[in-house]
Amino acid sequence: MAHVVLKDLIKTYGSFKAVNEVSLTVNDGEFVALVGPSGCGKTTTLNLIAGLIPITSGDILIGDRVVNELDPKDRDIAMVFQNYALYPQKSVYMNLAFPLQMRKLPKDEIDKKVREAARVLDMTQLLERKPRELSGGQQQRVALGRALVRDPAVFLMDEPLSNLDAKLRVQMRSEIKRFHQDLKATIVYVTHDQLEAVTMADRMAVMNGGYLQQYDSPAQVFAHPANMFVASFVGSPAMSLIPLQASTANGGIVLTSAEGWSLALSQPNARKVQRATSGKVVLGARHSTIKLHKSAVAGAIPAKAYTVEPTGDVTFVQAFLSGAIVNISVPPTIAVAPDEQIWLEFDQERIHLFDGETEMALQAN
Amino acid sequence: MSTIAETAPRDQTRRRTRFDGWRWGGRIFLVFMLLYTALPMIWMLITSIKSGFAAMQFPPQWWPDEPTLASYQKLLDPQNSVGQDFLRFFWNSLYVSTATTILSVIVAVPAAYAFSRFTFPGRNFLFFAVLLRNMFPAVIFLVPLFILMRAIGLVNTHGSLILTYLTFGLPLAIWLLKGFYDNIPVQLEQAARIDGATRFQAFILIVMPLSAPGIIATAIYSFIGAWNEYIYAYTFLSKNEQLTLPVGIQRFFSENTTDFPGLMAASFMMSVPVVVLFLVLQRYFVRALTEGAVKH
Amino acid sequence: MTIVAGKTGARQRLRPLLRKIWEHRADYAYVLPAIAVMLIVIAYPIYYTIELSFFNTPPGLQLRDKIFIGVDNYTAILTSPVFWKVTSNTLIWTLASTFIAFVLGFGCALALHRDFIGRGVLRAILIIPWVISAVAASYIWKWIYHSDFGIIGAVLVGLGLADRPPNFIDSVSTVLPSLIVVNIWREFPFAMIMMMAGLQTVPDQLLRAAKVDGANAWQRFWHVTFPHLRNVSTVTILLLAVANFNSFIIPWIMTGGGPSNASHIWITHIYELAFGRQRWGVASAYSVLLFFILMTLGYFYVRALSGNDRKDGSA
Repeated sequence: MAHVVLKDLIKTYGSFKAVNEVSLTVNDGEFVALVGPSGCGKTTTLNLIAGLIPITSGDILIGDRVVNELDPKDRDIAMVFQNYALYPQKSVYMNLAFPLQMRKLPKDEIDKKVREAARVLDMTQLLERKPRELSGGQQQRVALGRALVRDPAVFLMDEPLSNLDAKLRVQMRSEIKRFHQDLKATIVYVTHDQLEAVTMADRMAVMNGGYLQQYDSPAQVFAHPANMFVASFVGSPAMSLIPLQASTANGGIVLTSAEGWSLALSQPNARKVQRATSGKVVLGARHSTIKLHKSAVAGAIPAKAYTVEPTGDVTFVQAFLSGAIVNISVPPTIAVAPDEQIWLEFDQERIHLFDGETEMALQAN
Repeated sequence: MSTIAETAPRDQTRRRTRFDGWRWGGRIFLVFMLLYTALPMIWMLITSIKSGFAAMQFPPQWWPDEPTLASYQKLLDPQNSVGQDFLRFFWNSLYVSTATTILSVIVAVPAAYAFSRFTFPGRNFLFFAVLLRNMFPAVIFLVPLFILMRAIGLVNTHGSLILTYLTFGLPLAIWLLKGFYDNIPVQLEQAARIDGATRFQAFILIVMPLSAPGIIATAIYSFIGAWNEYIYAYTFLSKNEQLTLPVGIQRFFSENTTDFPGLMAASFMMSVPVVVLFLVLQRYFVRALTEGAVKH
Repeated sequence: MTIVAGKTGARQRLRPLLRKIWEHRADYAYVLPAIAVMLIVIAYPIYYTIELSFFNTPPGLQLRDKIFIGVDNYTAILTSPVFWKVTSNTLIWTLASTFIAFVLGFGCALALHRDFIGRGVLRAILIIPWVISAVAASYIWKWIYHSDFGIIGAVLVGLGLADRPPNFIDSVSTVLPSLIVVNIWREFPFAMIMMMAGLQTVPDQLLRAAKVDGANAWQRFWHVTFPHLRNVSTVTILLLAVANFNSFIIPWIMTGGGPSNASHIWITHIYELAFGRQRWGVASAYSVLLFFILMTLGYFYVRALSGNDRKDGSA
């Protein structure tokens, strides 16, 4: 296993910048998820690491080796594709054997390794089948087996679960996580599903528009999103972002809505807002940190419930504040009807504040 | 509710009768087309087993009084000068067609692959330039090509034909194969390259087997085109021992204008190889057309 | 793509273009053999034909001693009555063959689309005329049309429809239609194969949706199947038209253009001028005119094809 380093990685297509000065380090044995909406450059980044497309500038290191110009076959990597990319004309056995044949291993060793991989992935009885005779989950497992059979320095996975149905996806998610823990493998995993990234990865690299937005552990990304994009992308339902105007009143700082209500900030939050480039501030709050009251409470903001979605163990309520959608989760014991008058209370300890101009998170110091 | 229940069955029967009308129209049409297609070929076969005298009867003998394979025996007899010529023409055709086919595949496969996979500058321009070749008749190129072949010393050789036939087959071959490669996911090659294959190995080991139906279709098309070609062979070759079947037969029977049974037997035997080849492999051809040319 | 440079900044775009070409140099290796063959066998002949069309090449003179005469060849062609006769023959031949072959082929494809016993055999038989050589087809039909012993004549006489066997290909009025019948015989299977392939791509869901919406068989054909086949039809018709425009073997072998030019079409006429009468210059001028007509057709061909090929296969 080896670490992977990206230094100022750039990929342009004509004038379009697909990947923009991305720098990050994947430690030996670490599981890193590249996550972002489609077109954010995450798959391009993965393909650059794999060597499937040439880089425009920057450096890629696998282990301590600069691999910028190396062919994919010489990079000591394995890759799992979204559509599995199993060779349709070859049996499962031959699919697993192919990478070993390419490395000119002796026949008996190939056989030993293929059978070992098949045993680990519990598909010994499938070895003679053709890929089209397998279910989606089985195909996925073969693809995984083909990657694992030759013990590469790095595993690259390109949305390996997105073609599976929801139930299977959850199951395979834990299998891949298990696989990572057992092998202590270095894994770079691309997904558009932030939930996959949060649940599986040691660290997640959130990308948007070709730029790396934030690179940190899921807990840190969740607790301290670096900017409004990350805040809205990570977490489900998304963090509510309410645009407000900051002003001084009574020696403290107050956020005022165009709708007329205002929110007096606590001391630490006021210090953050003082660093904003203008008076425009965006208030961010996750659904679970907003308290819903059915009657007026001091400091709570009046709103009207718009939709109510009971999911069983929790009920999501949507309301509009300052023109933004606000998600609130309440226990199913609290009955809220659409169009009912409600009051929302923000937890000053757990709100996020963003600069309305730069969209960056406001820091206290 | 009740009105709907009443009208529904009537509606259905009406639809069924109209539907049958279409079906019967189709059947009658197919029978007509079958007769149009098959009767000339049947007449060719019947004539070929007549004697020269029996063929020249009015009204014609619908079935020969004395069927004979004499025409076939004459054409296939290596002792006889007619047979020697026919067999030589046959081998010449086989040689030229096979060589053309092999070369077409060798040239068309990489070109189609590049047109499908790579985005080099001028790709579309070159692709359509290749396709435009189909637009121009043989005759336009005949004179200059004749002079060109003379200049490079290929006149009266089979090489001149192989080179020219290559260009007939290429446009359609490249077009068909490109459609095939478009339908093979690029991830398969990427996977192969990551698994340790070079770009070339990925192509040979993974992509080539998957495009086999397209390659077979391309090969049939080239072979049939070369086998049946007449005008270049007629112009480029003058030595009797080099002629291909279409020209050879024409030369031969312009000297024996009344030997219609012989002519029909020769036409039949000339058609057998390509018809058999096509019938055996036609499913690849239709599949290649569907996947390569039509489905986009 | 990169070929298209705007009015402004062509110079600035040239450098990146050259760089891009250099970056992709390996890709060209794949297409090089194809392009090289095409260049030798197409580009040079086209150039030579155009050059020759401005020269006089009297019979018996070596070609390299040709005499420059400007556009005289062209004026000679356009003022000759034979030219107009041959042109009208070509038009009738091309339009009739293309239209009828397409309709018959499409009809067969539709009739064969539904599965029934013997469909495969029937389809195979219908395809055979397309596979066999045009030379063989010409001889078969020449024999069928034979003025003394032809089977059609015998049948007509036998049924009392004619007193004596008609002269199908020896008469000015019947020769062209008779040859067109032969040509269609050989060509409709091509239309059939193309349209069968096209029919397979018509999504069943759409047809079922139309059925649910209450469309009858004809309406389903007209509103779902046919629009879906427009691209295939265009390509098929164009390919047929080009092939017919370029026909040679059937008229050449069956009649040689006769009687009295009644079955001469452009290609046979050009061939006769060049190889029969050694009038290379005039023949070349004819070819150049033909070339322009075909370029016009070719424009539509490429348009139809690129409409068919919008999907960009990129790496």
